[in-house]
Amino acid sequence: MATETLASPRPVPRRRMAGQGRLGTLRNWGILLVLWEIVGRLRLVADGALPAPSAILQRLWIDWSDYPPHIWATIEGASIGFLIGNALAIAAGILFVLFPLTGRLARGINIALFALPPIALSPILVITFSGMTPRIILAAIGCYFITMSATVTGLSQTDRRAIDIVRAYGGNRWKVLRLAQLRSALPSILSGLRIAAPNAVLGAILAEFGGGGRFGLGVYLIGSLGRGEPDRLWGIGLAATLIAGLAYGLFSLIAARLTGASRAVTMPAAAPSEARAKGFLRETMIVLASIALPFLFWWVLLYAMGTPAMIAKTPPALFEYLFLSPQSATNLGKLAAALAQTLPMTIIGMAVGLAFAFALAIGSVLYPVIVRAFMPVALVTQTMPLVALTPLLVLMLGRGHSVILWITVSVTFFPAFVTMAQGLSLVSRAALDVPRAYGAGPLKQLRLVTIPASLPYVFASTRLAVPRALLGVMIAEWLATGKGLGNLLNQSRGYLDYGMIWAVAVVSVLLSVVFYQLVVLIENRVLSKRGMSPAQ
Amino acid sequence: MTDRAGIRISRVSRVFEGRGATVQALDDVSLECPAGSFTALIGPSGCGKSTMLRLALGLDHPNDGEIRIGGLEPLAAARQGLTGVAFQDAALMPWRTVEDNIMLPLDVLDKKRGAFRAKVDELVDMVGLSGFEKALPGELSGGMRQRAAIARALVTTPDVLFLDEPFGALDQILRRQMNIELQRIWMESNATTLLVTHGIDEAIFLADRVVVMQSRPGRIGQVIDIPFARPRQSAIFSDPQFHALEAEIAGALDGH
Amino acid sequence: MKFAVDRRRFLTLAAAAAAMPMAARHGAAAEPFNFQASWINDAEFTGYFIALDKGYYAEEGLDVTYFSGGPDVIPESTLIAGKADLTLTTPDTTIKAIADQGAPFRIIGAQYQKNPIGIVSLASNPINSPEDLVGKTLAVPPVNIISVEAMLKTSGVDRSKINIVPYAYDPTPLIKGEIDASVDFTTNVPYTIEQAGAEAVSFLLYDFGFTIFNDTVVVTEDALKNNRKNITGFLRASRKGWNDNFEDPSVWPPKFADSWFKGTGRSIENELYFNRAQQPLMEHPDGIFAMSEESIEANIEALNAVGIAAKREHFDTSVLEDIG
Repeated sequence: MATETLASPRPVPRRRMAGQGRLGTLRNWGILLVLWEIVGRLRLVADGALPAPSAILQRLWIDWSDYPPHIWATIEGASIGFLIGNALAIAAGILFVLFPLTGRLARGINIALFALPPIALSPILVITFSGMTPRIILAAIGCYFITMSATVTGLSQTDRRAIDIVRAYGGNRWKVLRLAQLRSALPSILSGLRIAAPNAVLGAILAEFGGGGRFGLGVYLIGSLGRGEPDRLWGIGLAATLIAGLAYGLFSLIAARLTGASRAVTMPAAAPSEARAKGFLRETMIVLASIALPFLFWWVLLYAMGTPAMIAKTPPALFEYLFLSPQSATNLGKLAAALAQTLPMTIIGMAVGLAFAFALAIGSVLYPVIVRAFMPVALVTQTMPLVALTPLLVLMLGRGHSVILWITVSVTFFPAFVTMAQGLSLVSRAALDVPRAYGAGPLKQLRLVTIPASLPYVFASTRLAVPRALLGVMIAEWLATGKGLGNLLNQSRGYLDYGMIWAVAVVSVLLSVVFYQLVVLIENRVLSKRGMSPAQ
Repeated sequence: MTDRAGIRISRVSRVFEGRGATVQALDDVSLECPAGSFTALIGPSGCGKSTMLRLALGLDHPNDGEIRIGGLEPLAAARQGLTGVAFQDAALMPWRTVEDNIMLPLDVLDKKRGAFRAKVDELVDMVGLSGFEKALPGELSGGMRQRAAIARALVTTPDVLFLDEPFGALDQILRRQMNIELQRIWMESNATTLLVTHGIDEAIFLADRVVVMQSRPGRIGQVIDIPFARPRQSAIFSDPQFHALEAEIAGALDGH
Repeated sequence: MKFAVDRRRFLTLAAAAAAMPMAARHGAAAEPFNFQASWINDAEFTGYFIALDKGYYAEEGLDVTYFSGGPDVIPESTLIAGKADLTLTTPDTTIKAIADQGAPFRIIGAQYQKNPIGIVSLASNPINSPEDLVGKTLAVPPVNIISVEAMLKTSGVDRSKINIVPYAYDPTPLIKGEIDASVDFTTNVPYTIEQAGAEAVSFLLYDFGFTIFNDTVVVTEDALKNNRKNITGFLRASRKGWNDNFEDPSVWPPKFADSWFKGTGRSIENELYFNRAQQPLMEHPDGIFAMSEESIEANIEALNAVGIAAKREHFDTSVLEDIG
């Protein structure tokens, strides 16, 4: 019996591979940096609008005395927002899993929080609150949905058998949560926190950028933008990336320590979930309530804060603006024209963004060294404020569809990638052993086991991608093309046309909800056919 | 202690409604396991034996009929710490060490770990996992994980023990050893035991009686008493009566 | 829709009214006064910084809190929300809000007699008049589209012959030639372009028919009635600050390097350029902030031409008269 000790020979080669991988990653980072330096020095991209890393560092050195107060202000706003947003998100995720009805009722509010374009929200926050509060709120909102989804996914993807064993000893829901679900959800929650970290930084910077304070990287950015000095802008982006990257790295490290121990040892053969007989009336009521709740929430919030009626449009006021007032026809016409420009690009952008995320996630299994080398680039795209990148993008890609696609993909792919990669990494060893035993190569293993087994995560990431894609298109329209909903939103701000600001915000949220529900519908069909349960 | 917990399953039915298809997993099944008895459930896959176990554990609820463990609802019995369970695959929590996994029922039942220290050490030793107390399940072989699961099932000294093919993953030699070990443990604890198994020889060796189930719909076909005196030695595996019983059960499984 | 005084603001006003006799009794106590600027700290606000630093507001019995602006800070909104007592705005936006939405604003002064917004281009590809824009790409901040369209209309240039794209704060696309011209403060951007090694040319929208003020001083009707003394004091002190500044526009910006201009990411040379360039756009024989009847008339005419129903009553010159 004693000879049958550590049966799996895997840990040893894994460690060796990891060592090689680290070296390879470093080497690839080096190659990337050298390439960038050459491109920057020779002014190969956009007539020198992409500065060389050495030029950025040099500039950072010169500007260094400017940075500390800005960096501290950003860290303060982002980290308080990160703490509050994630605490709420985890608590909400737990609530939604313990009492699934609350999750279904809150779905509308959740998606609304995720889909609300920060560019529409920021001016309203700036008017309503003062000081650090708008920054904290935007940072917290940037975290909420992602961490909440990750919590729900993690809790509900817990191995059935682990739950059974606790229940078999009479464990109540709380015990199941504490002893089985929370710990097994930890990797998922951590990967949520990992994506949330850059979002918090970016949220804080966005609020700083517009909010009229004195310090914060966003404030530094708005002051620097007018100077036409890309190396300064990249320096600010680098500082933002560094803050986010540290948080990202921290949570990656914790996740890496825990994921190995959380990976299921064998494949759970969960009994296919039963189709419960549900009352049609009850179902309809729940759906209606989940749609009505965000509106109610919005109304109550405005009332409670006492925001003046000219700025804060309540649902009836918005209805009047769009359908009853003499200008309604014009307003609706503008909205419809903008929508017609934005919608097609959103769908295309989402598809491309997801395809890219999927390719990257699969690549991280097949060619981990290459993908890891790409991660800093990916992180930069998440934390580099787009407004700082716009001149470069416009010079490289013009102001047509390609710039919209680029920006949309860059805001879409990252959360989708992290979610998918996590799904791929959680596939059980035993399940992989079968094809491996038949001599299947990595590609075949992916096709036969890894991808089908991680389908719930593919869908979860698609759900994440929906509102992000819309947001990406709107940002591109606002900054580069001057068309569509993004531009309409920005113009309305200039004209104090609060009715239109709210209309655009509501339309973008509604669009996201519709897309989201569509994905959920497809997801339920596909997954139940395969005897899997959705990751929420 | 004759008034200790027994298992009573009365006229239980369970229907699963899948997409389109309706499966009658159990159809009007009754079974009585007196306190201290050892009953083996054997049958083709899909005959509802695992469903029966889940019902008895309170993990699932019957559409009809009732189940009592020591006179209590299954969940109430579980909450009182009357039951112990080992599943078909070990169902260990991958992040807990062997020791922590064995102590999981204590955490669920809010029992002080300290009071069970000696018991845990004894169990670890008994299932041959000494030296692996701090290992994670992922670092163990399938057999070792299964033995950890058995130890976990016994940690609360349960009155009623449910075993769902606990040795399914073990090789024949180990399995026989574990069978003898289990018999010893059972005789000491005198727990009412319900063993779901595929192994005819295992059922005969361990049980007072073997309940043969049939499928579609899941029901009890035949109940065969096993007359061997205890403690049974491995010699009985070559006893002619043992072979006769094997043949009888095999016949019952084929529907004769 | 009609503007409604919200509950909270009403309560604030009621409380302020109740507190008034007390304040009068104590006499000397400085009264809090919130000023919302229209952009981040730069030379555009030098006069206010001087007035703050030299205690001109304190002399008027005011404890002024200065709020910097930014792209998401809509100055008029801060008045409605009760966060500011006085702010600086672009008159087209303010008057459109009064005319279309019944917003209770009054324009009581004008920092810029001539709007500094203009068309900036490179000397190597110069655009010297609206006609030169035909067939070119022009970057316009979405907020300024109306102004540009107005200027084109009065100049008889077909808007559809110009490719208008959004301008996102950064002049790099102009310097690199991706766009031919952009709309921005002519007091500021030409400096940046020169720093980048190119030469800039520019013209004001004002000089081609869009004859409006900028950084108009705006308060609510309520405040003009109930807080008149403080508003007058603020304007008087601010004028003093600006007068100090224009005695020699090179003096003050360097003094603010470690205070008001700290960490803005802009250089003091830039502020000096700005400060010199804005002097001719601000000065007026009747003093800083003046609004002569002719210029008010010109504003109304220009705004009416683009469909904004500006009226004389939107401008209130009584505070200016009070400070002389």
